Amino acid sequence: MKLRATLGYTAAVLTVLAALLTPFLLMGLFSKGVIALGLHVDEVYSGGPKVRSIPMGAYAIDVHRPVSPHLLQSARPFVQLDWTPVSALPPRVSDLVDVDGDGQPDIRVSFDVPGDPKAPLRVDVDSLNPRYEAMRNAGKEKYSRLIVRVDNAILVRVPQGKP
Amino acid sequence: MLMATNAYLAPHAGDPPRSILRSLLLTLPILLWSLLMFANPSARADRLSHIAGAVTALFMTVLFFQMMRTRSTYRWRRIFFVSLGLLFPIGFIHNLLVMRGSMGIPVEEMIAGRTPFCFMPIPFLILPAAFTKTLVFPGSIASANHGIASMIGLWLALTLVMGKGWCSYACFFGGIEEGMAAIPRRAKIRNIDPRWRYLPWAVLLAMVLLSMALFESVYCTWLCPFKAVTEYIAARNLLGLVQNIIFILLFAGLVIVLPLLTKKRTQCAFFCPFGAFQSIFNKISIFEMKIDKDRCHSCLLCQNACPNLSLSKESIARGETLLSCMKCGACVDACPQHAIVWHIKGTEVAVKPERARLLFLYAAWAMAVMFGGSIIAQGLAAILHFVI
Amino acid sequence: MLTERKGLRPHLRYLSAFLGARLLGYLLFAVVAWELGLLASMLPLPRLLLMGAVYLLLAGILLWYAYAARRSCAQPCAESKLVSIGEKKSRSLAGAAALGFLTGLNLCPPFVAAGIRAAQLGSMAAALLFFAAFFLGTSVWFVPFLTLGCIARNQAVLTVARMAMVLIALYYLALGIAMLLGKNAYGY
Repeated sequence: MKLRATLGYTAAVLTVLAALLTPFLLMGLFSKGVIALGLHVDEVYSGGPKVRSIPMGAYAIDVHRPVSPHLLQSARPFVQLDWTPVSALPPRVSDLVDVDGDGQPDIRVSFDVPGDPKAPLRVDVDSLNPRYEAMRNAGKEKYSRLIVRVDNAILVRVPQGKP
Repeated sequence: MLMATNAYLAPHAGDPPRSILRSLLLTLPILLWSLLMFANPSARADRLSHIAGAVTALFMTVLFFQMMRTRSTYRWRRIFFVSLGLLFPIGFIHNLLVMRGSMGIPVEEMIAGRTPFCFMPIPFLILPAAFTKTLVFPGSIASANHGIASMIGLWLALTLVMGKGWCSYACFFGGIEEGMAAIPRRAKIRNIDPRWRYLPWAVLLAMVLLSMALFESVYCTWLCPFKAVTEYIAARNLLGLVQNIIFILLFAGLVIVLPLLTKKRTQCAFFCPFGAFQSIFNKISIFEMKIDKDRCHSCLLCQNACPNLSLSKESIARGETLLSCMKCGACVDACPQHAIVWHIKGTEVAVKPERARLLFLYAAWAMAVMFGGSIIAQGLAAILHFVI
Repeated sequence: MLTERKGLRPHLRYLSAFLGARLLGYLLFAVVAWELGLLASMLPLPRLLLMGAVYLLLAGILLWYAYAARRSCAQPCAESKLVSIGEKKSRSLAGAAALGFLTGLNLCPPFVAAGIRAAQLGSMAAALLFFAAFFLGTSVWFVPFLTLGCIARNQAVLTVARMAMVLIALYYLALGIAMLLGKNAYGY
């Protein structure tokens, strides 16, 4: 009984100590532990890692790895392309893009680049390869088909295949 | 059936207040801690932020002093908690308006990983992360500003210290309904079916399963009432509009109307899945409430006082609270027999309970100053910037 | 599962009924789609309507199960068999099977993409084998649910399970109605 009480009080005092150490040690330690788990944000949000860059003179098109939904996830597979930097883009972009790196163009992506960074964007995608879906006047409908401006890049997500 | 009353505000009858000198001595560690947390000259260069920090430090110290002087906990903790609940949205919304001009999160921010991480999705992220190492939240893991890792680290530390005391000393959402519950003198709905206590667990189970099936935090996209006072996904279609209407209705019902009618924390007691999740951590928390069965007269004043329905006749007969106990102290302050007391696991019940209370309060209030206090200071600074 | 009897063996029975009916749903879909050549030409709108109808049926079954489970007993009852859907033990298996069959007909994009892949194979036997493999791959997700057999059964657990069924049913109800109105609720 006395041992239990001693252990109880010891744990209580350690708890107070833990509270005092939280802003200086514990919080940072636990955060680093979470980072060390090697987790990553779902690629449906992040767009997947960049795999190569297509130079287009003053700007470049960054091609990301195609994102496939998890088995039970209902999002469509897509591939994200980034046009960067926005400041180097012409007023009208219409580029043939070799998405899969086989040397053949797969899609033609066309969009206007407005001067106002907050202006809505619209994109047309012509499909030259049935693996990629065409889009007409697409905005921000879904994670798998959209055009948005993020910082100094314009991102286009092209859905893959037909269900 | 459980009754909703308001019999807990007065200190124990016949208890003399602690002497001012002794109360000041007991408050001194908290004063020093508050100064350490808010008097950091390198943290903020802004004069108004310094003023807000000083006011907050004084506020938290005075409340702790009152807890020591009156030997009661609940009403002073509630003042802090309601302040936190009111000032958090003010500070948060102010930051959103400054950063992006709107409370709505555009998809660009989600893709860029700049959605601030809130602790509520934590239980729904666990299974998808365990199976696929994927976090189904559009945030950033290592960002210093509301990054996922830092918020989870903070949550873990706070939970290890307080268990479900999180819901009484850290949750920046609970203060709104606690404030609403304090407004009426008497409850209009006095008989509440105790089975409603199980709904948070059902919401937790349903949301965990759906989140794993759909690989998204379903609670955040469909059911979080506090989207109405923080941020929400900007609606671009009918679905988004329906989701936003659900948020507003849940907020109005669970956070405003029902607390006014029942004088209970209805969102916490009857809905919040994160609260159910936090209850699990009460098992490892060293602090708890216990009932001395020799002193207890079964008057049920403690049960009526509990804002979270964490006491039942059966649990009182067993001498303990239910797993959902938030350690708010309402029951202790309501008991005229001093039968329900703060307790450290392993020690004898009702032997030096004030020692257990002090140790708990030092830990919990230190965390409250660090976390809740910083949020209060931010809210005050936002008001000062607006006014001055 | 939480509303049914405690123990690994009953759980194994319910899970087997659920998964068996789910496999049947998969294989039936493969056969019908292969025979009728639906997969390659299934337009989004009919697929959406079919998904919506299946979701509404699933919601209905969950609500019925939650209602019927109110007569479940946590302790031994006068009846030696646990009451769930109807009076007979065999009907509780039927409930699990119905849920398994309906979840097997979930026409989500990966499922239909697998169907198209199967339709491109040389024979119906190959298509059936492909879908059986697809079933095995998805079924591994259900293995952890066997551990639910160890959770104690008391009134609290039963109440939580019933409430959770209602909540999930409401979710599928909302999605089903949205799909019948032609709105695909996924993706954003």
